[in-house]
Amino acid sequence: MLMSAEPREISFAEVNDDVVRSLVVTGRGYYVTLATSVAVMFACFLFPWSFQLYYGLGASGINHPGVWGTYLASFIFWIGLSHSGTLLSCVLHITNSSWRKAMYRSAEAMTLFSLLVAATMVMVHVGRPWFIHWTVPYPNQMEMWPNFRSPLMFDVMAVTTYLTGSTIFIYMGTIPDFAAVRDRTAGWRHNMYVLLSLGWRGTDTEWHRLHWAYTFLAVLIVPLAVSVHSIVSWDFALSIVPALHQTIFAPYFVVGAIYSGTAGIVTVMFMLRKYMGFGHYITKLHFDNLGKLLLVLSLLWTYINVVELFTGWYSGASTEYEALGYRLFGFYAPLYWEMILFCAVAPLILISKRFRTSFVPMLVLSILINIGMYTERFLIVATSLPRQYLPDAWGHYIPSMVEISIMVGSLAMFVTLFLLFVKIFPSVSIYEVKETFPEPEPDDSPGSAAVSDNGVT
Amino acid sequence: MATNVVGLFHAPSSALAAAGELKDAGFTTPELISPIPIEGVEKVLGKKKSVIKRFTFFGAICGGLSGFALAAGTSVLFPHPTGGRPIIAIPPYLIITYELTILFGILATVLGFFISSRFPAIRERVYVPEAAVDKFVVTVVCEDSEHSKRADAILRNAGAEEVREMTEDG
Amino acid sequence: MSFISDFRAKWQEYRRPGYYEEFDYAWTMTVDLDRCTGCGACVTACQAENNTPIVGEDAYAKGRQMQWIRIERYWEGEFPDIKLRFIPMLCQQCDAAPCETVCPVSATYHNQDGLNAQVYNRCIGTRSCAVYCPYEVRYFNYNNHHWDSPLDQQLNPDVSVREKGVMEKCTFCIQRIRQAKDHAKDDNRRRVRDGEVQPACVQTCSSEALVFGNRLDPESQVSASMNDPRAYHVLEELNTDPSVVYLKKVDANVG
Repeated sequence: MLMSAEPREISFAEVNDDVVRSLVVTGRGYYVTLATSVAVMFACFLFPWSFQLYYGLGASGINHPGVWGTYLASFIFWIGLSHSGTLLSCVLHITNSSWRKAMYRSAEAMTLFSLLVAATMVMVHVGRPWFIHWTVPYPNQMEMWPNFRSPLMFDVMAVTTYLTGSTIFIYMGTIPDFAAVRDRTAGWRHNMYVLLSLGWRGTDTEWHRLHWAYTFLAVLIVPLAVSVHSIVSWDFALSIVPALHQTIFAPYFVVGAIYSGTAGIVTVMFMLRKYMGFGHYITKLHFDNLGKLLLVLSLLWTYINVVELFTGWYSGASTEYEALGYRLFGFYAPLYWEMILFCAVAPLILISKRFRTSFVPMLVLSILINIGMYTERFLIVATSLPRQYLPDAWGHYIPSMVEISIMVGSLAMFVTLFLLFVKIFPSVSIYEVKETFPEPEPDDSPGSAAVSDNGVT
Repeated sequence: MATNVVGLFHAPSSALAAAGELKDAGFTTPELISPIPIEGVEKVLGKKKSVIKRFTFFGAICGGLSGFALAAGTSVLFPHPTGGRPIIAIPPYLIITYELTILFGILATVLGFFISSRFPAIRERVYVPEAAVDKFVVTVVCEDSEHSKRADAILRNAGAEEVREMTEDG
Repeated sequence: MSFISDFRAKWQEYRRPGYYEEFDYAWTMTVDLDRCTGCGACVTACQAENNTPIVGEDAYAKGRQMQWIRIERYWEGEFPDIKLRFIPMLCQQCDAAPCETVCPVSATYHNQDGLNAQVYNRCIGTRSCAVYCPYEVRYFNYNNHHWDSPLDQQLNPDVSVREKGVMEKCTFCIQRIRQAKDHAKDDNRRRVRDGEVQPACVQTCSSEALVFGNRLDPESQVSASMNDPRAYHVLEELNTDPSVVYLKKVDANVG
C-alpha cells in the first residue's frame, strides 16, 4: 500500500521528469557540498595516509599488544554499513514487498560505496600496503600463493565476491532506468546512458529475462551477504584471544551489520528527500517500515549482547571474567555504556509510531545508532587485544590524531562517492516506483494516474 | 518490404488485449514494449522459456569446483605447513569453495541474461521513446501494406491512442 | 594402477596434520625458573645478535618495545611481604601455532626443524599473527629504525635489518642454527652435536637457566631437563604444543 506524504496525483511522466531533473539540474549547493567533501577527503584521509606511508604505522596509536586499532574497526564498520543496502534489497525483493521500491537503488549504492571505502581502509591498516596484491591468487615468478587457510583470505574472497555481486546487482536493476533517461538527455550524458543501457527497449521478453536474472541474483546474494560478515567476524573469532573466541560472533556481526546498515539507509533517505526533491517517493511509510525494522534489529542486538554477557559471567572462567570486567568497568567503560545507551536503550523509542513517522527525529536516532555501532566495533578491538592471557603483556590502546582524521576522511570519501552517484545513476528507481502506482485504466483520461488511498502494487 | 505497425496505448490491459487479438488474427507474435512489466503476458502470448537458470546452475557448479581446485591446488603446488594443520584442510577450503560458487553463479547469471536478451543491442530495432515514460506499445511485423492496414484496424479497435508505421534499419 | 596408489599416498601426505612425518631436528629450549635471576642479560644478548632496534624511551612508553625475549614480572602480596616472580617469555615455536594459520600471504610457517619461521620479505604487516599469538611474543616495526653511531657498527651482518611494516619475533637464532648445520655438513655430513649451537640468550645466561638442544636426540641436555618433574608449558590448556619447556621454581616457603 502506498500512501503519499502529500496527497498529490503523480503521473508516470512526472516520475521520469523528477528523476531526470535530479540528474541534470544541479544547483550551487551541490557543487559546494561536493567541493567541501573532496577537500575534507584530501585533508583528512589522503594527506595523513601519505604521512603514514612515509613514516610507518607508528603514526597511528597502535602498540604492543594493541596491534589492531581504529583502521580495522572502521573497516568492519564500513563492511557492516554495506550490509543493509544489497541484503535488504534482495530479501525484500524475494518477499515481494512494495515499500522497498523507491529506496532500494540508493541503498544499494550505499552498499557499493561502503565496500569501496572498506577496501581502502584495509590498505591503510596493513604495514606494507604496496604488497597487498600478494593476497590475490595470481601465478607469479616467486611461485607463491596466498594461504587459503587464513581467515583473512576468506575475507579477501568474500569481500571481492560481494563487491562484484553488488556492482552487478545495482547495474542490472538500473538498465531500464538508463534507457528511460537516455531518451531525455543530451551530450555526454546521452552517450554515457546509451552505452550503459545496452540498447534496452522494454519488450516483454526483456522484462521477463530481467525479472529472472534479478531474482536469481537476489537469491544468490542473500547467503553471500550473510557469509561476508560472518567471515569478517571470524578474523576475530578464529583467534584464541579470550574476549574474541566466541561462537556468537558470526550472528552478532551479521545482526550488527544489518542494524548499522539500516540506520545508514535512514540517514541517506532523509538526505535524498530533503536535497534531491524526492519527497513524494520517499514517504512516511518508508520511514515507518524502516523504523520497525530498526526496532526489531535493536532488540536482536541487545539480546545477543545479553547472551554474551550472561554466558561469559556464568562460566566463571577467569579469562572471560577479566575480559568482560574490563569491557564493562575498565578504562573504556564510558564508551561501553554510551554504546548501550545509543544502540539498546535509545531505539526503544521506535515503539511509538509518531516517532517513526517524523523525519528529523529518525535522522537523529539513525546517526546515534551508527555512532554506537562504531563504538561497538572499536571496543571489540580495543578492549580485547590489550587484555589477553598474560597479565604482564597487558596494555592500553588510544587512537592517535592520524587515525581519527582518517576515519573522518573515509566518511568524506563515502559522501563524495555518493554525491557523484546521484548525478550519474537515477537514484530512485523509475520503473519500480511506477509499479507501485495503480495500473492505468482504459477509461481514464490520458496523461494522469490518480493515487488513491488503496493504491495497488 | 517488412514494416512494423506500432500502436500506443494508455492502459496495459488494452495493449495486452490488442496483442492477443493480433496473435489470434494470424500475425507473427507481437512485441509489447512498456515502462513497467505487464502482468499476464504469458497467458496471452504464450509461455516464455528462461534459459538463464541453466547458466546460473552451470556457473555455480563450475564455481564450486574451481574454488576447491584453487584452494587445494595452490596448497599442493606450494606446500606450506602452518599451525599443525594438514596441507589440504577441508573446512577453510569449503569457505573458499562457497564464495567462488556464488561468484561464478552471479557472473554466469549476468552472462545468461545478456546472451538471452541479446545485449548489447548492436542492430537498431523498433523503439518508441514514449514507451519508457507512460505508454504501453504493441508492435507487430507486417509483410505488406494489406497486412499493415488490417493490423492498424485491429489496434485502433482495441483503443490505441496512436498508430505508427516504422521500419527497422539494417 | 600406480596412479591410484600414488594419488592415495599423496592424499594421505597432504591430509596429515602438520605435514611432516617427523622433524629433522626438533629444537627445544628449557627455562629453569629456579636458576633464573631475572638479570635480563638474555634480553641484551638477543638485541645484540638479532639487530633488534633500540626504540627509545618515548616509544617504549607508548608500548612499542622490541624485545624478542622479555622478562615478565608478577608482583604478589603487599609490602613488606612482597614477592616478585619473573619469567622469561620468548616465542614458544609452537608446533600447533595459532599465528601461522592466519597469515594471509604465508609469511610465517613451520619448517622442518620444528621452528616457526618468519619471512620478513613476504610480510605485508596485517599483524593478525600478533593478535592470534596467546603469548604475545610477536613484535611489529612501527617505523624504520636507525642506530646512532657507533651502535650501527655493532649490527650483526648475518641478520637482516627489518623495514617498517614487518613483523618479527624470536627465531631461536636461526642464523646460528643454519651455520651449525653448514659446519656439520662440511665436516663429513655428521649431525649437529648437542651444545654445538646455542642461541644468543642461551649462550649469555650466566646462571645457565637456559638450555637449548634437539629433543629428538635422547642424549641431549635438553631431553634430560624436559623430563624433570618440574617441567610444564605456559598456557598448556590452549593446545599450542610449544617447544619451550619451563621448569617450575621451587618455593621454599610453601607447605
